[in-house]
Amino acid sequence: MIGLLAGGPVIPDFGAGSKCETENQAFCWSWVSAHWGDTLQPALLQHLKLTGIAVAIGFAIAFGAALLAYRYRRLDQPIGLFADFLYTIPSLALFQLLVPITGITVTTVEIALVAYTLLILYRNILEGLRGVPAEVREAAKGMGLTGPQTLLRVELPLATPAIVAGLRIATVSTISIATVAAFILPEGLGRPIYIGITQDVFKTEIIAAGALTIVLALAADALLIALQRLVTPWRRA
Amino acid sequence: MVRKHARRAVKAAFALALAIPIVLGGTANAKTTASPTIVVGTKNFTEAFVLGQLYKQALEAKGFKVGYKENIGSSELLDTALTSGKVNFAPEYTGILALNLARVKPAPKSAAATFAAAKRFEERRGFTLLKQTPFFDADSFAVLKTTAAKYGLKKISDLKKVPKLSYAGYPECDKRITCLLGLKQVYGLKNIKFVQLGTIPVTKLIDQGKVTGGDIFTTEPAFATGKYVALADDKHIFGFQNVAPVVSKKIVAAYGAKFVSAVNAVSAKLTNAAMIAMNKAVAVDKKTPAAVAKAFLQANGLL
Amino acid sequence: MILADTFDWSTFPDAIRFIGDHPGLLWDKSLEQLHLSGVALGIALLIALPLGVVLGHFRRGSLIAITVANFGRALPSLVLIAFFLLVSTNFFWDNTAALVILAIPPILTNSYFAVEGVDRSVVEAARGMGMAGRQILLRVELPLALPLIFAGIRIAAVFVIATATIAAIAGGGGLGDIIVNQATYRLSGLVAASLCVSLLAFGAAFVLAVTRKLLSHSFVSDD
Repeated sequence: MIGLLAGGPVIPDFGAGSKCETENQAFCWSWVSAHWGDTLQPALLQHLKLTGIAVAIGFAIAFGAALLAYRYRRLDQPIGLFADFLYTIPSLALFQLLVPITGITVTTVEIALVAYTLLILYRNILEGLRGVPAEVREAAKGMGLTGPQTLLRVELPLATPAIVAGLRIATVSTISIATVAAFILPEGLGRPIYIGITQDVFKTEIIAAGALTIVLALAADALLIALQRLVTPWRRA
Repeated sequence: MVRKHARRAVKAAFALALAIPIVLGGTANAKTTASPTIVVGTKNFTEAFVLGQLYKQALEAKGFKVGYKENIGSSELLDTALTSGKVNFAPEYTGILALNLARVKPAPKSAAATFAAAKRFEERRGFTLLKQTPFFDADSFAVLKTTAAKYGLKKISDLKKVPKLSYAGYPECDKRITCLLGLKQVYGLKNIKFVQLGTIPVTKLIDQGKVTGGDIFTTEPAFATGKYVALADDKHIFGFQNVAPVVSKKIVAAYGAKFVSAVNAVSAKLTNAAMIAMNKAVAVDKKTPAAVAKAFLQANGLL
Repeated sequence: MILADTFDWSTFPDAIRFIGDHPGLLWDKSLEQLHLSGVALGIALLIALPLGVVLGHFRRGSLIAITVANFGRALPSLVLIAFFLLVSTNFFWDNTAALVILAIPPILTNSYFAVEGVDRSVVEAARGMGMAGRQILLRVELPLALPLIFAGIRIAAVFVIATATIAAIAGGGGLGDIIVNQATYRLSGLVAASLCVSLLAFGAAFVLAVTRKLLSHSFVSDD
């Protein structure tokens, strides 16, 4: 239907949606295949990127903090309490609070996502290190290994299961919290979900994006389990 | 000896862990000293996305580099984004500028007067308004045609006849003289009940009889169905709501006439019919705002 | 009038002022959130606690416990809430159902492993003393499993209360209503509401800790 008003704009035919789409039926494959490239795939890749950066940075910070607390026990309580407190800040609030500081950018989202990974990663790395039996550490010292060598060759490998367990939880919850980020930054799989909710609860978009998020989380979890088996072949998971 | 090495290793790891986010954050916020980038900001609903894409793509076609911040939120948040410099180009509704932000009294009586008042307001703050669009997207008190027939409603003043009056509006509505406060004070509908809209679309609430009427914007695809009628706003509380791009004066100064004429060329083509069609394509036919904007610009020789 | 919301040192005093100016609003919203969280947690406890404890006692179903935990963690809260919106437009039950599903994994896993992990020798000793299965569960395994069980309940409670904030996007009400409406309540309201959420979460953890102490005392005094 082309509308031509005298001197007015040309209104092109934008193409009618399929019956499935306009009637908001349960699930429209036509929409998914039509919009995989422009909506779903970019969202998926953005989500991967958001999660990857957050877990990597969170791990680096938590690792350093855990090492510090491992050597200086008195640091454990303040660090732990800080991470604990960060975790109780509702994600919706933290994202918005950061906007005046770092703008509506990926940085803002990343800062918040990193904050939420810290508690789990810090606790798990620390507990993993502490779980190394004292006799083993003594044996290493007896064999003439220096502190850093013991850390690298004995304590860390033994702590790996706990560390990977922490990574698994942190990754999966980051994937989940990153969907909320779409409230301030239109990136990631949360965006199609929000759009779907506000556009008359568009079932297909919500189901498609939601299913992708769940699959992403399960895949990440499985990958990390495989990684653990690779790194610690002497343990059966 | 051992402990000194361990401490060094730990300090190094910690420093590195802190450095990475600082560096990343720093490069992300690096300020450019070259000419300012045009950053378009939009609100968070279908029409806003379409408008944003229209201006963005049209400007890019003319060779301008355009940053894009979609989904900022309500007028108040968009205004904050403008004044804090996060965006410098924001399509906004003239009535909201004049009545809600500028608080002009008495309310302007025409679209042109509203535009002039809004422009005066923004120019005091370092911004200016480019030409306004033909279309207007005002709030409305929309009811089912059957409801209007039942109570003989033609204008909002007629609502005095309706018992148990209720109105579904957006969260910001209950604080605005251009919305609920206007209905209560200007129209004297003191006992009107306000239902805040969340995720359930206003049309559904009206259809199900949960409210007498609701805020269906005048360019929403719902009006294309013929089921609803917007009662005449005889006391003009909803104001005149054409769209005009709020642009930072720095941007206009930096890019001059070529920029201004490119933007005005787009605005001139945006009639009510055009907007309703584009909104329908996105909201009902589930096309993406980017694709719809592109098709429209191409059909009108702006791309 | 320029509305410029910056996040600086005045934001926190402003937030305190907000609390002083809007005590009724914050109280109502907090109650809404507690109501939603409480119902969800209660239902989750009814389902997961007995299941986990019984499975742990009979040492069956570790696979179920682990799978539920893994799968449950992978369910993003927003996705769950959105999915339930598709099914029903009763906001309260949409959000409650989503929160129940999120609360079950930690409760189930922890109760299972808590009971299953009780030292075998203690259980054997009890059996040797002639105790029947049910008595062993109630008087030996449960008291020893209490800390880990309560740790699971605590995790679930804090998680549910925090996630209930997101429910505001889907009509669930609660303090999230303030947090998503920055246009009306500004940053001061946002900070005030977030502080309330943290308070609620810590409060719940505290109540649980006290409950646990009381329960373990009553278990001990049974002897």
